[in-house]
Amino acid sequence: MATTFADQLRSLPDEALGALIQLRPDLVVPVPADISALAVRAQSRNSVARCLDGLDEFTLTVLDAARLSRAADTALTSVDDILQLAGEDVAEDARAAIDRLRVRFLLHGPPEALHVVGAVDEVTSPYPAGLGRPADFLDPQAAALCADRAKLRRTVLAAPPGARAVLDRLAAGPPVGALNRDSVAEPVRWLVDQHVLVPVSEAGRAPRPDGELVELPREVGMLLRRDTGPLGVLRPVAPVLDGPARDPRSADSAGAGQTMEAVRATEALLEALATEPAPVLRTGGLGVRDLKRLAKAAGIDEAGAALLVETTYAAGLLGESENGTGADNFLPTGQYDLWRSTGIAHRWAALARAWLAMTRQPGLIGRRDERDRPINALAPDAERAGAPQARREALAVLGDLDPGTAPPVDALLGLLTWQAPRRSRGREAAHRDAWAGAAMLGITGLGALTSYSRVLLTGPGDDGDDPLGVLHPEDSHADAVRTLDQLLPEPVDHILVQADLTVVVPGPPEPELAGELDVLAEPESAGGASVFRVTPASVRRAFDVGYQAADLHDLFRRRSRTPVPQTLTYLIDDAARRHGGLRSGSAGSYLRSDDEALLAEVVADKRLGTLEMRRIAPTVLVSPRPVARLLGALREVGYAPVAEDAGGATVLTRPKTRRAPSRSARIAEPAAPLLTGPRLAGVVEQLRRGDVATRAARRAPVTVRAAHGQAIPGLTAVQQHTQAMAVLQQAVRDKARVWVGYVDSHGATLSRLVRPVSMSAGYLRAEDERGESLHTFALHRITAAVTEE
Amino acid sequence: MSGGGPLIVQSDKTLLLEVDHPDSQACRMAIAPFAELERSPEHVHTYRLTPLGLWNSRAAGHDAESVVDSLIKFSRYPVPHALLVDVAETMDRYGRLQLLNDPVHGLVLRGLDRIVLVEVAKSKKLAGMLGAKVDDDTILVHGSERGRLKQALLKLGWPAEDLAGYVDGEAHPIELREDGWTLRSYQQEAVDGFWAGGSGVVVLPCGAGKTLVGAAAMATAKATTLILVTNTVAGRQWKRELLARTTLTEDEIGEYSGERKEIRPVTIATYQVLTSRRGGAFTHLDLFGARDWGLVVYDEVHLLPAPIFRFTADLQARRRLGLTATLVREDGREGDVFSLIGPKRYDAPWKDIEAQGWIAPAECVEVRVTLTDTERMSYAVTEAEERYRVAATARTKLPVVKALVDKHPDEQVLVIGGFLDQLHELGEFLDAPIVQGSTTNKERERLFDAFRDGSLRTLVLSKVGNFSIDLPEAAVAVQVSGTFGSRQEEAQRLGRVLRPKGDGRQAHFYTVVSRDTIDTDYAAHRQRFLAEQGYAYKIVDADDVLGPPLPKID
Repeated sequence: MATTFADQLRSLPDEALGALIQLRPDLVVPVPADISALAVRAQSRNSVARCLDGLDEFTLTVLDAARLSRAADTALTSVDDILQLAGEDVAEDARAAIDRLRVRFLLHGPPEALHVVGAVDEVTSPYPAGLGRPADFLDPQAAALCADRAKLRRTVLAAPPGARAVLDRLAAGPPVGALNRDSVAEPVRWLVDQHVLVPVSEAGRAPRPDGELVELPREVGMLLRRDTGPLGVLRPVAPVLDGPARDPRSADSAGAGQTMEAVRATEALLEALATEPAPVLRTGGLGVRDLKRLAKAAGIDEAGAALLVETTYAAGLLGESENGTGADNFLPTGQYDLWRSTGIAHRWAALARAWLAMTRQPGLIGRRDERDRPINALAPDAERAGAPQARREALAVLGDLDPGTAPPVDALLGLLTWQAPRRSRGREAAHRDAWAGAAMLGITGLGALTSYSRVLLTGPGDDGDDPLGVLHPEDSHADAVRTLDQLLPEPVDHILVQADLTVVVPGPPEPELAGELDVLAEPESAGGASVFRVTPASVRRAFDVGYQAADLHDLFRRRSRTPVPQTLTYLIDDAARRHGGLRSGSAGSYLRSDDEALLAEVVADKRLGTLEMRRIAPTVLVSPRPVARLLGALREVGYAPVAEDAGGATVLTRPKTRRAPSRSARIAEPAAPLLTGPRLAGVVEQLRRGDVATRAARRAPVTVRAAHGQAIPGLTAVQQHTQAMAVLQQAVRDKARVWVGYVDSHGATLSRLVRPVSMSAGYLRAEDERGESLHTFALHRITAAVTEE
Repeated sequence: MSGGGPLIVQSDKTLLLEVDHPDSQACRMAIAPFAELERSPEHVHTYRLTPLGLWNSRAAGHDAESVVDSLIKFSRYPVPHALLVDVAETMDRYGRLQLLNDPVHGLVLRGLDRIVLVEVAKSKKLAGMLGAKVDDDTILVHGSERGRLKQALLKLGWPAEDLAGYVDGEAHPIELREDGWTLRSYQQEAVDGFWAGGSGVVVLPCGAGKTLVGAAAMATAKATTLILVTNTVAGRQWKRELLARTTLTEDEIGEYSGERKEIRPVTIATYQVLTSRRGGAFTHLDLFGARDWGLVVYDEVHLLPAPIFRFTADLQARRRLGLTATLVREDGREGDVFSLIGPKRYDAPWKDIEAQGWIAPAECVEVRVTLTDTERMSYAVTEAEERYRVAATARTKLPVVKALVDKHPDEQVLVIGGFLDQLHELGEFLDAPIVQGSTTNKERERLFDAFRDGSLRTLVLSKVGNFSIDLPEAAVAVQVSGTFGSRQEEAQRLGRVLRPKGDGRQAHFYTVVSRDTIDTDYAAHRQRFLAEQGYAYKIVDADDVLGPPLPKID
């Protein structure tokens, strides 16, 4: 079959081939050697699955219709058959869908004899359009019932209400249910007795706790669906999102408020982390308790804190640093300081871009993983490669709406599910997470996408050559910042000082003012404005970093729009008076004596000049030298000092003889390793195995040998694993013989000529050359596969 | 965007109102119903959005939409989306549950939201309060649990709207006797606010005439009234005021205290006698059931002792009026006041009332005394628990207090302290009588009367002076020591000198503090409350006071 497929490709005009490649770009990564290779790849499971992932609900249903309408003998279908299944009402849409499928080569061949690519059946549900298998495939008695249409209708109509409910449920799909669920056991038994349902058992499966499975035959399903058509309810066009329409300006305003809030919370969170770094857990990530602490410090809930921690990490504002005891701590990075010095809009844009691109799903944090352990922030468990894609999808849907439209989250998810049901399945949490994160970061305001975020997402001049902003991401960044800046308050450079010693900055402070206030006041409240309180401790801190009382008076006078209250002036002067009342320093040793004259003599003694002694009180001298040196020098020039311990008691010492630490004697024996029984046998076996491998390899094709690392002149490329899989899948379909290279459990490399029978659950089952016995190969051990020439 | 409204919304749900902005008055009117005024210093007032405040406004008929609108309308900067969502969600929680009087089943809890009702009914905190389920939306409530249920629901974050109504009580004619005086406008507003809400708390500063608000509420209720006050002296003042301002006669007002046990149509009882116990049981509980009271007035609600809360939980069918200068409770039981007495019905910033001229403007001065070296040394070696006493009672303060008293030769001066030894020293030093806990009520009355008529110029008060003593002529208070850092005590003491003076003179409030000791720290903590109310504190050195007489402050 592959030849036909390849031939069709070969006979395509260039434009059509180009269209295929454009629609399925993964086919040319890397560029295949020839059209045959392209054909193999286009029919491979991976590529087909990837292509299906991008299709909408309706197109997939039409593909299901194609599968259903295949003739039993030739496995061929036609456009007319498909349209008949889809129904008159949607014929036009269905025709377009068929075209979409044919362009993508999921359906191929002439319109009256269409093939469905084999891999489609392997990567989609075994029940196309939610219908079961035909009755004659399942059970002869059921087939007999289905053959007699009138009897079948009578039986279905006679079904008791419980049984009818079961039937309706199975008819809606999937057509398989469990037999022994208590609530439905009775009606299901009735249906099975009437042969409307057929018990199915999967060979080789362990018995299920909820009993055996039953399946609804296709004919019965179609009968039950006679109201909606055989394919069930069809939605040829995407559901329309309608939500409350907000005034775009108030949405922008709420969003801008939220950006300020997000930036503020980020800063508060990282400052809290800087004051008290959080340890990196052994399993990686940030502990729950630390996250709680940071959330509290930033005044947000834990989900919000988790989002910000992840985002700042992705933005490079947060990093690990060794804490001096060998363990790692989370700390703000140097990048954080740069970030802080930029404007609010810039800071927001940095966060938003990091969030859009990060492969993390913060919504998972705080949940429990499959082993019931909590997932921590920054831990590997919250890594989701699909997260950026999910975010783009969700925001793209919002971006396609009129500005100010705020659809409810469930409607948004519904549309995403229609657009790409296969991709959205399992991504619902990620989409919800994206929606919540966008609200938290102010990308949306009042539920609608804000104007500046629109710019950030789409780029400025959307003239088609760079729709994703891939080429010039900086432009959209700068434009978004400009747009946002117009919505944000201007920075202020003045303060209002009040009698209760609070200092109010009525707007976002200029960086210089923020720096000054950081030192000399305690923050009390932040948001649109900031409130600080001047306390004795904060004034002391200002003195500690070098301010003088006069500087502070001057600073308040200069910055304050209101008269400086007398209490503040008094507080500064009072603190200045007390500052430095106690002095502290370090010294290597001290010398004290009640005899002040004796100490004066020691200080004056020129011979002791090297000790650099300094008098800090009438009865105390200090020296930077260690005690032993001080004592020695004093004794040398004739004084009689005595050492004191920490408690003040005298310490009497006598000279000790110096010795190295003790160690035990060790005599080395000459090593003569003896090869004993089992080990010797192992070596011999390994040798023999290698021998066999070499002989086998001699017969195997070049690629297989290359995969085993046997040097072959002029051919060094090793076959890719995916390529090997594609070859095997095709071989299963074609029942062709293949050379398989693999590594056995001892690490030896072998090659075999086999005929693959099936491929599933990570194993390849294949008959050997003589067709005598069935071999099983673990797929991950297979190094190469080449069709026998 | 700058240069917009007068309001700045902060992330921690505080609202900053710039007072000098032209729109500030309109903004204040718009946000006052749902935000609580926390601080009102001279330039920027701080309001706070609390669940209690939002529920209060919801109870008064405001909805989330109007709250959000006012925030957005007056805000200078964009308001964060998350905060708006939070406000709407919080307000939405009030009134999902209602306490109703069902004609068939009696008191019931009805859920307007079935899920909420199911959620709270499962809560362990409500065990034993709820009875059988009437239908999906209604659960029986034991009549005796009305108060406790409201308390518990508030803790769960689903405050119930109490629509079960009140009993009228035994009718009794009471009228205000407005001969030569009328109720001030804000007092009338307070009474109207209370009456419309049924039960609740009126917050007015000391000296703003809370007693009159009580009297007017009684005249509106026209029913037998139980008045609960902090102590006997305060009770007698209530009685005097009621006799002067209403049609009530001597025979109609009873005193229920340690000394007398009278039960009359209007009965004034002290917290102390109600909470006194014999053999572990409260012996005077019968008072609550002695008559069919139509109104219960709680004076100084912020001091309401814990047992009274428990009794109040059983009085939910009666109208309750709480009067206080501050809702700040040092024990943090503001939520119990909300659920048991009722939401706040009226509140006015002190400075506004002062501007209207009803209370005397006050100048607050902190005088810092430098301890002598001996005193410093003895302070330095004192155990931690004794440090405040040593610092606060330093002898160095005595001459400073004397100098302050002498500075106001024509004024009535109160000297207030917390330590008896020190007060005795002061009494001797200033040659002034002392009122303390052990002073008999008769002696107190005599001294207060002498002070009121001006024959006694200086009076030394212990902690008993903190509350409910009406000495309107006192224009100067000197505080020498207090109960550690109590902010509420500071407010009460300032209240002593804030009564309006005949000639509109300025009141003076001095605090004498030992420099560089824990005394300064406590003083700072206590003053914070008043500084936040807009009273600028001045700090001076004792030397400035002791030096040559200063020119008169006008």
